[in-house]
Amino acid sequence: MPHKTSVSKLAALAATLSLGTAAPALADAMADAEALLAKHSALPEFIVPGEPFDARACMADKKVMSIPLTMTVPYGVELEKGMATAAAEVGFTFETWDNQLKIDQWIQGVSQAVAQDYDVIDLAGGINPELLGPQLSEARDAGIKISTTQLYDVTQEAVASVDASSKIDFTTAGKILAAWAYVKTEGKPNVVIIGSSDVLSSKPYTDAMEAQLAEYCPDCKARVIDVPVSEWATKIQASVQSAVLSDPGVNYILPVFDSMSQFIVPALRITGSEGAVKIASFNGTPFVLDMIREGTVDMDIGESLEWAGYTAIDNIMRMVCDLPEPQGNFVPLYIFDSANVETAGVPATYNDGYGDAYLTGFRKLWMLEE
Amino acid sequence: MTDKTAPSAAAPTRGGIDWKYQAERFALIIAWLLLIVGFGSLMPDSFLSWRSFSAMFGSQSVLVVLTLAILLPLTSGDFDLSGASVLVLSAMLIAILNVQMNWPVLPAILVALAAGALVGAANAFFALYFRIHSLIVTLGIGTFVNGVILWISRSQTIAGISMDLVGWVIIKRLFGIPLAFYYALLLAAVLWYIFEYTIPGRRLLFVGRGREVSRLNGINVTAARAASFIFSGVIAALAGVLYAGMTGSADPLSGLSLLLPAFAAAFLGATTISPGRFNPIGSVVAVYFLVTGITGLTMLGAEAYVQNLFYGGALVIAVALSQLVRKRQPQDFS
Repeated sequence: MPHKTSVSKLAALAATLSLGTAAPALADAMADAEALLAKHSALPEFIVPGEPFDARACMADKKVMSIPLTMTVPYGVELEKGMATAAAEVGFTFETWDNQLKIDQWIQGVSQAVAQDYDVIDLAGGINPELLGPQLSEARDAGIKISTTQLYDVTQEAVASVDASSKIDFTTAGKILAAWAYVKTEGKPNVVIIGSSDVLSSKPYTDAMEAQLAEYCPDCKARVIDVPVSEWATKIQASVQSAVLSDPGVNYILPVFDSMSQFIVPALRITGSEGAVKIASFNGTPFVLDMIREGTVDMDIGESLEWAGYTAIDNIMRMVCDLPEPQGNFVPLYIFDSANVETAGVPATYNDGYGDAYLTGFRKLWMLEE
Repeated sequence: MTDKTAPSAAAPTRGGIDWKYQAERFALIIAWLLLIVGFGSLMPDSFLSWRSFSAMFGSQSVLVVLTLAILLPLTSGDFDLSGASVLVLSAMLIAILNVQMNWPVLPAILVALAAGALVGAANAFFALYFRIHSLIVTLGIGTFVNGVILWISRSQTIAGISMDLVGWVIIKRLFGIPLAFYYALLLAAVLWYIFEYTIPGRRLLFVGRGREVSRLNGINVTAARAASFIFSGVIAALAGVLYAGMTGSADPLSGLSLLLPAFAAAFLGATTISPGRFNPIGSVVAVYFLVTGITGLTMLGAEAYVQNLFYGGALVIAVALSQLVRKRQPQDFS
């Protein structure tokens, strides 16, 4: 019996060593990846960001100005709409500073907030506070608190000029994309990741994808191509074409933002790779969800922008009310593929398909319900 | 418009062939072939495959057509900075009419082309009636059109354009190359024929070389310039049709970034085939020279910023060499 035990131990040790030298435990990696996908395929549930508080009492007479990155893209419009709806429920003044992606307009917004005695300036949808250093410093001297919404990844620290941040979980989105490619290629992903390093959160996001893929399969191939936002239309198609032509084994393109897909699809069509090379991404932009329905995009991780708006307002109110800043991500990431994409609407919208658990959740948390 | 003292397109000297001129005419084509040979020797399997050339040829047709659009006003001595805006307007009109209003795609294309003509006519009216520099007028009209696009699209990207259009642009192929390439090539050939062998085309060239001289010679300069603006608008709208067919979608912003590459291709094209003159075939060569370099570099694994280095560097070096050949005569872009 003791002999038998030592043999079995040796066999187990040999098996471990063998797995360690060839490939990692495929079954474990596959199970891990499938579990991550299953978690984010379930209808989103409300994640409680902190202790309940009397929002109406605390926010009485308070004024918040939100300056979005731009109102010329629907993402900015819908996020601001979600924030405005949440603010209206609580009953405080919330203004959006309309602009067209111009730094002078952002500066003007900060000046207006100072001149009109606002309590909070929120930089929403990606404005880097470091671009407005002197203006934000002046605002803070005037007693205004500064927040950011949907700028930083959960792994990133905000700069000192910011009092609170409602972050996005790009890191988890990256892991989900890696898991998707791993599972759908049966453990043989050969991916091209397209990042935009001029967007602050792009780096941790692409790093997360690469790290997760390396963890699942160290031998799998992942190439990162960096294309700044202003050059998407002129560079993405050419870059993807070249990547697919130089390596015919590529089986997934993983753009960090799903709007990049419109330039990837023609590259795949022209190289005759449509179908063989698939696209998966993050953001839940309606036209990309429509592309899933049409069969040109494989998967898109979405987040409800109204949910994100409510979460941002929760974060801002906790900052104003001197409550602890919630740490982590509170906007669920939800996987859309051909099986469930019609729940997002036909044509798709920014908020359908995610359920409305956040409405009752936040109302209870803010003590709005009788 | 361009170098007014440049030799004419076919300029053999009395004693025989002007080798220097011929070398200048074909220098860019030789450089292009050298690029192909260079990348081909580094990546014989992937770069030299027909699939790779098919992708290069098929993917640049939108840029070729937009370059040909701005070439008309450039030839008559005007700048059209509204070209990319017309392209986006055209693609967006097709998306709205076809996807959101369920129009068949053909009438949607006709409306898009008509909108291009309308914008061209507006450019012509303000530039010619009020005698405002075309740079100012087309900048203003282009910005106005950008506003219209954001308004009618509600800043949304619209996907789901008819697969019939997508099919006729990039899915159907001839010799493995998407049809869009042949449309662009056909348009370049038609423009080349018009410039070389028709009276209106030659008039446009004369107007570009010297408006007063043309006027004194009985050419209706205003009509020629107006026609160049209107046809520029229609061709830019055609580029928008191809853009919509290429991506199967339309978004209100991204197509605008094609304006500077189009101008770069037009200026680079003016150094070849008919040096010193904006010319359609030269522009086509310029676009494919640039895309060959970019494709090769990217296939070798170069970062995306290398594309800018190549694009900008090739343009300045080619124009500078061309100027050296013509003994650094001053260029006139008035």
